Amino acid sequence: MIRSLSDIKRLAGEKGPKKIAVLAPEDEEFMLAVKKSWEMGYIEPVLIGNEGKIAQAAQKVSFDLAPFEKIAGGELQGISDLGIKMLFDGTAPIAGKGQISTSYIYRSIIREEARAASGMTVSVMTFWEIPGSDHLIAFTDSGVNINPDLNAKREIIKNAVFVYHLLGYPRPKIAVLSGQREVGGKLSSYEDYEALREAAAAEEFGSCEIVAATSFTEIFLGGRQNPMDYSRLKEVELPHIFLVPCLDMGNIICKLDLFLDVNRSSLVATSRGPVCIPARSDFSDVIVQQIAMCVVLADRMGKEVQ
Amino acid sequence: MINTFNDILAAAKQGGPKRLAIPAPTAADVSLAAAAATAGLAIPCFAGDAGAIAVLAAATTLREGDYELWEEKDPHRSLARSLSAVRSGAADILLQGGISAADFAAVLQDRQEGLGRKGVTVSYASLYQLRKRDKLILVTDTFLNNRPTLVEKQQILANALGLARLLGIETPKVAILAAIEQVNPGIPSTLDAAILAKMGDRRQFGKAMVEGPLDMDCALSQAAAGRKGLQSPVTGNADVYLVPEIETGHLLAEALVFFGEMQTVGAVLGTAKPALLHLPFVTHDNRLTEIALASLLVGNGGGNG
Repeated sequence: MIRSLSDIKRLAGEKGPKKIAVLAPEDEEFMLAVKKSWEMGYIEPVLIGNEGKIAQAAQKVSFDLAPFEKIAGGELQGISDLGIKMLFDGTAPIAGKGQISTSYIYRSIIREEARAASGMTVSVMTFWEIPGSDHLIAFTDSGVNINPDLNAKREIIKNAVFVYHLLGYPRPKIAVLSGQREVGGKLSSYEDYEALREAAAAEEFGSCEIVAATSFTEIFLGGRQNPMDYSRLKEVELPHIFLVPCLDMGNIICKLDLFLDVNRSSLVATSRGPVCIPARSDFSDVIVQQIAMCVVLADRMGKEVQ
Repeated sequence: MINTFNDILAAAKQGGPKRLAIPAPTAADVSLAAAAATAGLAIPCFAGDAGAIAVLAAATTLREGDYELWEEKDPHRSLARSLSAVRSGAADILLQGGISAADFAAVLQDRQEGLGRKGVTVSYASLYQLRKRDKLILVTDTFLNNRPTLVEKQQILANALGLARLLGIETPKVAILAAIEQVNPGIPSTLDAAILAKMGDRRQFGKAMVEGPLDMDCALSQAAAGRKGLQSPVTGNADVYLVPEIETGHLLAEALVFFGEMQTVGAVLGTAKPALLHLPFVTHDNRLTEIALASLLVGNGGGNG
């Protein structure tokens, strides 16, 4: 069972290097992450994008690109399509986003999933490593679905459970989050929680459990009537997966790592392998962490360099 | 300038005690009122079963003469009596007491019989004390409004800016939060944020720096914002965070408390007179600070910040 980002790094070193299709690594910070990941034995990069910009970024971080395959690409959607196609046809077990908007990547993934008739919905998982917790937690969907309806949430849960099974958690616990509180009537996100809990009990999502809590207050205090006690927060056993009600909430909360004492790592798990999708604001160490996680997941999905 | 919860308490004490109207008080409410009275912040006015309240009060530091008792055995009548006292000026601040949050919120928003005001959106702001430096931040709306319209967001922001200025922040810096920092017609929160930011540019919120849309990394970190090509004095140093809707607002308010272990207090804004709601993740000690904060609102635009 993978319990921490340290476990991920150790395993990435053991299971790598894996081929990664790197899309538009035209930024110094991202290129530095590629360099570090290669030096640590995680990856063997295939660099796709504007050759001049790639060379320039590599030069800035003193990274000799001679040993690596490079594929020239111009417009961003084309670069994204090419890299994601490499993932889906098995040429590379991982794809990674460089200085390119995620919307291009999502579009490419959706097209390839449709072509593969996988039925998989694209969703993003953002993991947090919290000091003192014995497992990683993940917020999902933190990147694609703006206001997912009940059916979309079903698919998002299936994706997350699939990933947690890969990480070695046989029966992950899920909190379906909602802004439901003492005022404001019943929110649709709460109605979704009720429906999803029934579905989980019927094993619709495989082995998992949806906990009887939709707010952090209920999770940490055991109920909204219980008194607030800061001294007991570290003792609380957290669910593994937090299904967020909407993109605004998911994205805003998951980036609290800049404010809180947590480490963050995000990815998209497609039917054919993981896609590394660092934020354009991420620095190299965070990106390396995300690459490591993709290496481990790719390994566990049985994807090997071809 | 008020930078900490202790500063709030000190400032409120300087203003002298305020009369708290507390309908159908629970033991916790009576204990809180006793602490507020001891701290020189309040004169409790309890409305409810006088005999039962006297028993609860006797178990605290309160003595006869320290508080008023209004005999109203029915909880709804106790609320009506307390509300009437606050509306008439016989009391300064309305507490939730033993009234359900839903019933109490209805009174706050009622523009005819309650504390609501014509043309003003009643909102809720959560204040947090940063752990690494003396600074207070406001997050709004974290409790009352489910899916505010653009007009309501404009008022929620105006309410928060009023409170920020009351705390001594002359030119509040505002981050209008959304999932991404780019204006995307497919994500409605980014459109509202862009419009509010433009209103800020045109000084429609008075002296304030309003930036949006901002995703959380840009709001929290100047370096992260810089990586995205965004330069603004708001990034990395916002005083006010305006959220797009309640799913984000309430869960963000909770996340800062439970994951960040940050101390929090709340304030009802936009009402004709100050009022206090009881949120489950506010400690007894911090509820005292909430009374102090509400005291600062007395005579400073009521709950309008």
